[in-house]
Amino acid sequence: MALQTLTYTFPGKTGCTIKKEWSHTGVVGSGDLEILLEQKAQAGAVSVQVVTPVHGFEYIWEAVLKDFVEENQIGDLAVSINDNNATPFVVSLRLKQALREAGIPEIFLEREGEKT
Amino acid sequence: MSRQSFLGATARERAAGLTDAGTFQELAGPRDRLTSPHLPVLGEAVSFDDGIVTGVGMVRQHPVFVISQEGRFIGGAVGEVGGAKMVGIFQLALAEYEEWKSHGAQEDCRPAVIISFETGGVRLHEANAGLLAHAEVMDQIQCCRGKVPVLGLIGSKVGCFGGMGFVAAAVDVIVMSPEGRLGLTGPEVIEQEIGKEEFDSADKSLISRTTGGKHKYLMRDCNVLVPDSIEAFRQAIGDILEKPYEEMEKCRRIGSPALVKEQLDVAEWLADLAPSDARDVWKAMGNPMAEEYPDMDVEEFLTHAVRRRRGEQ
Repeated sequence: MALQTLTYTFPGKTGCTIKKEWSHTGVVGSGDLEILLEQKAQAGAVSVQVVTPVHGFEYIWEAVLKDFVEENQIGDLAVSINDNNATPFVVSLRLKQALREAGIPEIFLEREGEKT
Repeated sequence: MSRQSFLGATARERAAGLTDAGTFQELAGPRDRLTSPHLPVLGEAVSFDDGIVTGVGMVRQHPVFVISQEGRFIGGAVGEVGGAKMVGIFQLALAEYEEWKSHGAQEDCRPAVIISFETGGVRLHEANAGLLAHAEVMDQIQCCRGKVPVLGLIGSKVGCFGGMGFVAAAVDVIVMSPEGRLGLTGPEVIEQEIGKEEFDSADKSLISRTTGGKHKYLMRDCNVLVPDSIEAFRQAIGDILEKPYEEMEKCRRIGSPALVKEQLDVAEWLADLAPSDARDVWKAMGNPMAEEYPDMDVEEFLTHAVRRRRGEQ
């Protein structure tokens, strides 16, 4: 079966994009994935494109990505993923890592500060 | 971080670490999204860099054009896009050479190409394009002769096998770590084709003795042996580039009738010796401590190692 391309758009927070203009994380190894994060002014939306050989997991992807956007309260971001059979847990971990490498939005750090 | 293992690093980490800190600039990087046009129809995962990191950085005063293969993506196999990226790097290096020549041609600023090999050769999914890429890279190495030194670095998990083993043989200087492995036919393919009694691909120490950095150093298939750290590789690159260009030419394995004769003489000598293990060859070259070599660290090994004599055996 051919590669599958999944696209999603989630509402996010305007101006809460990453610090770097763009950032790349990960290697498309077996059971792993790479993530490209790019700043993108789109009224706060987070757009995601996933290219994966695995079929039938559209809703799992959506759930994992939705959690990622909501937990981190990000926005104005384009996420591009090349996947090679990564588990949802690995996907979550890599997304977290990617965001850290890209520079977490200032607003989020301030919130973290409030919590502690 | 300065002692980061070469073996465990990603291709991108190696590319950045092999050049002086902060100087590496990736070209045709992930944001350019140069994915393979062949893999999607086969349902195979793609990568934004097609498994090869390319760019330019500095090693001391030298502009160094970098190719770094990623073994975790389809075993580092080279396809159409990755091959084109490799060729592009050679073309940039040759253009830089012309610039360098017209600006005084100072030896300590001569451009160079480094290839960090981590590959089994041709990507079978795009066989013809992959094969063509190998031929084109070989062609570029020839174009660089007398102009731009080409250094091969092998210290990765996958090693350097298949068609890229031929490409590695054609470069000027090869730097390896003991963990690096170099050959033409990979261990598993030998076992598959001839049998387990010929080559047991599950025997890690046999593979290391036959294809690993220490053996290749003794046989002169590898010119410089370094410990497994990115820093050690970078140091070695700098030290090699400080030498006069003619010295780098002398490191070559192929490329002249004299070198062809030398290789044929080695093959004949080995056939006469009929060794049952690489250690027999080491002993025959004058290494009485051969049995202990596999466990020695690089520093100790280098104090004992007696390499193959050049010219006639």
